[in-house]
Amino acid sequence: MTLTTSPTAERRRGLTEREVVSRYLLIQTVSFVITLWAVLTLVFLAMRALPGDAATIMGGLDASASQVSAMRAQLGLDRSLPAQYITYLSDVAQGDLGASLRERRPVVRVLVDRMPVTLTVASMAFVISLVLGLGLGLLAGLRPGGTFDRVALLFTTVALALPEFWFGFLLILLFAVQLGWFPVLGLPPQGLTLAASWHLLLPAVTLAIPRAAQVARLARARVLEERSSDYVRTARSKGLRPWAVAKHIASNSLPGTIPLLALELGGLLTGTIVVEQVFGLPGLGATILGAIGARDYPVVQGVTILAVTVYVLVNWLADIMQVVTDPRLRVS
Amino acid sequence: MKIRIVPRVLVAAAAALAIGATASAQTLTMAMSAQPDTLDPQVTSATAAFQVGKSIYDGLVEVDQSGRIVPALAKSYSISADGLAYTFELNDATFHDGTAFDSADVVATLGRISAEATASPKASEFTNITSVVPNGDHAVTVNLAKPTPALLASLASGWGAMLPSEKLAEGHDFGNEPVGTGPFKLASWVRDNAITLSRNADYYQGAPALEQVVIRFVSDSAVQYQGLSTGEFDIIDTVPQAQQAAVESNPALALVREPSGLVLVAGINSRLPYLNDARVRRALNMAVDTEIVLEVAYGGGTQVGTFMEAGSPWYPESVTPFAFDPEKAKALLKDAGVPSDFTIKLVLPQPYPQHIQAGQIVQDFLRDVGVNAEISIVEWGVWLSEIYGGPHDFGMTVVGHTGKLDPSGRLTGLGTDRNYTGVVDDEVANWIATANVTSDPAMRHSLYSQALIRIHDDAPFIFFGTPDRVYGKKAGVVGFWMTPLLDSFDFRAAHFE
Repeated sequence: MTLTTSPTAERRRGLTEREVVSRYLLIQTVSFVITLWAVLTLVFLAMRALPGDAATIMGGLDASASQVSAMRAQLGLDRSLPAQYITYLSDVAQGDLGASLRERRPVVRVLVDRMPVTLTVASMAFVISLVLGLGLGLLAGLRPGGTFDRVALLFTTVALALPEFWFGFLLILLFAVQLGWFPVLGLPPQGLTLAASWHLLLPAVTLAIPRAAQVARLARARVLEERSSDYVRTARSKGLRPWAVAKHIASNSLPGTIPLLALELGGLLTGTIVVEQVFGLPGLGATILGAIGARDYPVVQGVTILAVTVYVLVNWLADIMQVVTDPRLRVS
Repeated sequence: MKIRIVPRVLVAAAAALAIGATASAQTLTMAMSAQPDTLDPQVTSATAAFQVGKSIYDGLVEVDQSGRIVPALAKSYSISADGLAYTFELNDATFHDGTAFDSADVVATLGRISAEATASPKASEFTNITSVVPNGDHAVTVNLAKPTPALLASLASGWGAMLPSEKLAEGHDFGNEPVGTGPFKLASWVRDNAITLSRNADYYQGAPALEQVVIRFVSDSAVQYQGLSTGEFDIIDTVPQAQQAAVESNPALALVREPSGLVLVAGINSRLPYLNDARVRRALNMAVDTEIVLEVAYGGGTQVGTFMEAGSPWYPESVTPFAFDPEKAKALLKDAGVPSDFTIKLVLPQPYPQHIQAGQIVQDFLRDVGVNAEISIVEWGVWLSEIYGGPHDFGMTVVGHTGKLDPSGRLTGLGTDRNYTGVVDDEVANWIATANVTSDPAMRHSLYSQALIRIHDDAPFIFFGTPDRVYGKKAGVVGFWMTPLLDSFDFRAAHFE
């Protein structure tokens, strides 16, 4: 994921803050480019290893072999694999993601159209899993063995054991079908509007539940660890109020969950693919599944680039956040 | 005087409000199980694209509710005695962008679908056209190299849609921003979600009653039914078999059951040993009770005995479906020397649960006559490239062939190795090729009949039949219909009662 050594190690080698930062950025950028190249190559080859191409599928049952090959030529699929690969890489290097074979418009337009739904669901899910996870973990960890801790344990066990689409169906049955609070179908015909964004609450909760459980587990463990440290005992023995002690525990233990949160956030993007299917949402998940079915190579590759970029950016952000929240990692 | 005016203004305002209220009630929402890949009628072969396109575009001719081809954008047409020239007198119509429809549009539209650069999957239907000559603004003659009786059918199908020449010259993106003469204009399209169409007040046949049509893409038929029963949808294009009785018995809903244009078959790969023997293929037909297949997997329909939909005027009277007779099937298999451990690879396409279920039923019936069918399920793209085309890596496969207005569309390729079943019969290929370019209707009919009778005997398929097209709607929705054979949605006369 990251090729860098920790900032503390850098500091020990006697580098200035500016050197540490620029080194960090350089290594991260190189690692990003290599990751992106490797993933793109993999996706490029995997898609082409699948039998059938966009022309075969567009031609369907009726087009003759000669019509299909005419379509193939028109879509540029008749060129040799290395030629297609080199053109594609050089286009991507110049910021051109190509055009969708199925939608016949730039991939960037496709992504810009579809991203808002996925980003909204993912961000809502992130906030929910953060609040729910940290809250549960902290409260459970402060009174281990208590009633709340047991309830939280039950929740995390169930949430981690069951697949997320199961929660999706359950929520749909309960809140959409039985209670009628939410529409059965994800979004209104116009797609994502401000007024309709609350429709995304059920998918966001579905996505958040297993992630909240994971965050809660880690947060609880950190809190337990922190609880038994000397300064807590000292603080308690000096008669500090419990909430003040809890505040210290929280501020010292919760930053340790940030790397996990970052991983979760990266995973949210892929997690939405399943959840979008369950809720019939027109986001990136539906886009990539449709594109794989249609052998729309440029779109599959475009979504991949987007996913890798978001994943890497989130991890950078997590590294930075960790430095900001953990004074031990600061250079000066 | 003044006192009188005020109430009039109020009345007018109230009337306007009332109109506003009815207008908002004039939005029809339909759930559709597939969705278009593009709305450019010339670069797709997807039924879904034409089902939606029917509301946006018009052709020179169209199909009426009885299945006949009737004038549309063409006021009338005449065919020369030699069948080589079709002259169309054009109606006054306006495209959604405000430009008038005239002969230049016909020339440009037919020019584009035939052009190599367009790479239209339907281009071959137009290859016999030698020239399209305008006679003034309101008439056009299409000249042909050889008689092409299927031309009208092509022009009446979704891919015969007329496009504005100015926009064609600009290289306009019809796929995402369609411009036609149709009864509705595209208002919005959120892929994987919905298409919203708004009324074209200037429609040449008179503005449709509905203000708006919303087509929601709902692949899950259970969700479609859910939406119909809660009132979210006014029409659903598929009713799950388990819910059909519930729709029928609900006075607020209506179940529409009518013949479709599909021919459902299990294609047999005659390139393989034993399957290259017509006796074996006939035996397989006798081994399967196709009535059960139709009933259980497809929700009912009519059996056929050859490669033509039930009820078609082209269906030869003398052909009856193979009777279910496992004993005779066993005897035939024995005659043909089929070994007792004979195994067939039965490939079924995903995501078509009906075909998969049909395949499982076929597997059961074949087991009863000592034929072991090993089911393998493949994704549609793989199916198209490996089973239907390319290496033909299958023993048997289940699929539905969609309706065609002209038999040439359905039959061309049969009798040759280009067909996925690989049953080569030069006579069949010849009859079909000759019929395709024969103007005389009686002659044509007899050529296709000969071919269809031979196809029954050759049995390149297990012929299942033509399923019913079953859709659901609110009882108050009237005037909506689906084009025979093409299954396009026609909202022009649709309204609420």
